[in-house]
Amino acid sequence: MTSPLRSFLPLALMLAALAGCRPPAESAGEAERSAANRLEGRLLLSGSSTVAPLVSEIAARFEAMHPGVRIDIQTGGSGKGIADVRAAQADIGMTSRPLKEDEQDLVAHRLATDGVALIVQASNPIPELTRQQVIDIYTGAIDDWSRLGGAALPIQVVHKAEGRATLEVFLAHFEIDNTAIRPDVIVGENAQAILAVAGSPGAIGYVSIGSAETEARLGAAIRLLPLDGIPATSDEVAAERFPMSRSLNLVVTSEPSPLALAFIDYARSEAVHDLVREAYFVPSTR
Amino acid sequence: MAERRSNFGRSNSRRVDRVAGVIVSVAALSIVALLGWVVVATLRAGLGEIDLPFLTTAPTRAGRGGGIGPLIVSTLLVLAIAMLAATPIALLAAIRLAERSRQDRPGAVVARSGLIVLAAVPSIVFGLFGNALFCQALGMGYSILAGGLTLGCMILPFMTVTAERALRDLPDDWRLGAAALGIGRLSYLWRIELPAAAPALGSALALGIGRSLAETAALLFTSGYVMRVPTSLFDSGRTLSVHVYDLAMNVPGGASRASATACVLIGLMVLIDGTVVASLARIGAGRSAPIRRDASRDRASRIGDRS
Repeated sequence: MTSPLRSFLPLALMLAALAGCRPPAESAGEAERSAANRLEGRLLLSGSSTVAPLVSEIAARFEAMHPGVRIDIQTGGSGKGIADVRAAQADIGMTSRPLKEDEQDLVAHRLATDGVALIVQASNPIPELTRQQVIDIYTGAIDDWSRLGGAALPIQVVHKAEGRATLEVFLAHFEIDNTAIRPDVIVGENAQAILAVAGSPGAIGYVSIGSAETEARLGAAIRLLPLDGIPATSDEVAAERFPMSRSLNLVVTSEPSPLALAFIDYARSEAVHDLVREAYFVPSTR
Repeated sequence: MAERRSNFGRSNSRRVDRVAGVIVSVAALSIVALLGWVVVATLRAGLGEIDLPFLTTAPTRAGRGGGIGPLIVSTLLVLAIAMLAATPIALLAAIRLAERSRQDRPGAVVARSGLIVLAAVPSIVFGLFGNALFCQALGMGYSILAGGLTLGCMILPFMTVTAERALRDLPDDWRLGAAALGIGRLSYLWRIELPAAAPALGSALALGIGRSLAETAALLFTSGYVMRVPTSLFDSGRTLSVHVYDLAMNVPGGASRASATACVLIGLMVLIDGTVVASLARIGAGRSAPIRRDASRDRASRIGDRS
């Protein structure tokens, strides 16, 4: 009986030792109280990995303007951002979708808009797909380009993994149930979907317009399909004409700290529009 | 008739041997080729972007510009914490498990099967565990310390199993011989067993270092995403592999920088692993040389007697 106990003793000792290690008491609370006029303290942001690279650039610029401010950014998805804000683990959450009905206890500030476009390989001659054709392709009812007027080539359906914001935008727009989809390839991120489509003549996928435009400009063998007759371009997204799009938001509780509000104001101002465009999103027009 | 059959059998078995030999060589070559292909492809894509400023400056434009200086610092700190936390526990546990007299006790059996199960747990599970325990329950937040300790937990089973194998591979006679000479168990462990096993223990360390440097999933939720130079162990800090992941996956136009960072990561891994393995091999060679020479002389004289 003593033998198994003794094998776990080192682990128990390690945990006990760790319980003693706590970070130095950071004076975040005090700093926030005086932040109204002097902008000092720490902000923790968490959430969508789509929004995080953009916000980290905005944060770097904000820190440079206010040397007393430190902003830490963590990722983990829109859902984690919302959960962290609710649990007071983060000051601001980042989401790549609007708030859901059961999330109305929080306040979302739109940072930018991101359009989602269907992409095919550059060699694919298909000019445009109707709504029903896209649904048929993704549910497996049509599995060859010859049935859509293209060459005799099996269609390779590139789909996103559960939990991806672009997946939700896509499903909501085409009103497809995720279980009805018959994918050939499931990928995580935009860059993976672009690689998958560029590398396979019969593939079709859907990605952020910003990332698709950029990769296409850098030479990726993909083509963006128009939707409902509207070309898939950043300009159309900015004009809020492109139908398949999502909003990128900064989410706070109903009582955010003054520092959090100051940062949100800055992130939505024209001073950072260059950064938003550089991240291939479309700035929010207020 | 009988003679012909046996002749046929011999030439046939020789042919089978030759085919088997070719298959084995091709398999071995293809492993080397695969490794070479990965390294060459990464170096070709990334080597051109690496210069001194890339290694020393901070990233800008979400990693598309600037360098990776702060991330190298974070990576080394996370690695150091993981190894400091895991190595002593792994070594002590391995010594305990390798004790010959106690191998079938229930405690050893439970611990050994626990290690095998733990070694198979996906790293993202360790990430969530580390986030819940170190970041939240122990109040460390997203920090280098939390990331290092999470990694330590993750590599512990691999290192323990490898280290146990290293200790058990030593000839049983040595232990008996030492006991016959009246050498204490601790003294045997310290002077003979550990030095002789040092080269093989080096591969346990190398395994832990490699897995630590390569890890992303366990670190995303623990040491985090922040690109600043950490000023304390309670700061969040992004490691090189998390940076590679983020550039390749979340930053459009980040692919070339991802390859460049991957080159640095491979270089760092070869450098650290190589140093550790070489220095432990030297310990092994230096300390156990007399024993080995004795053993081989012994064997030689025995063979000589027989002839």
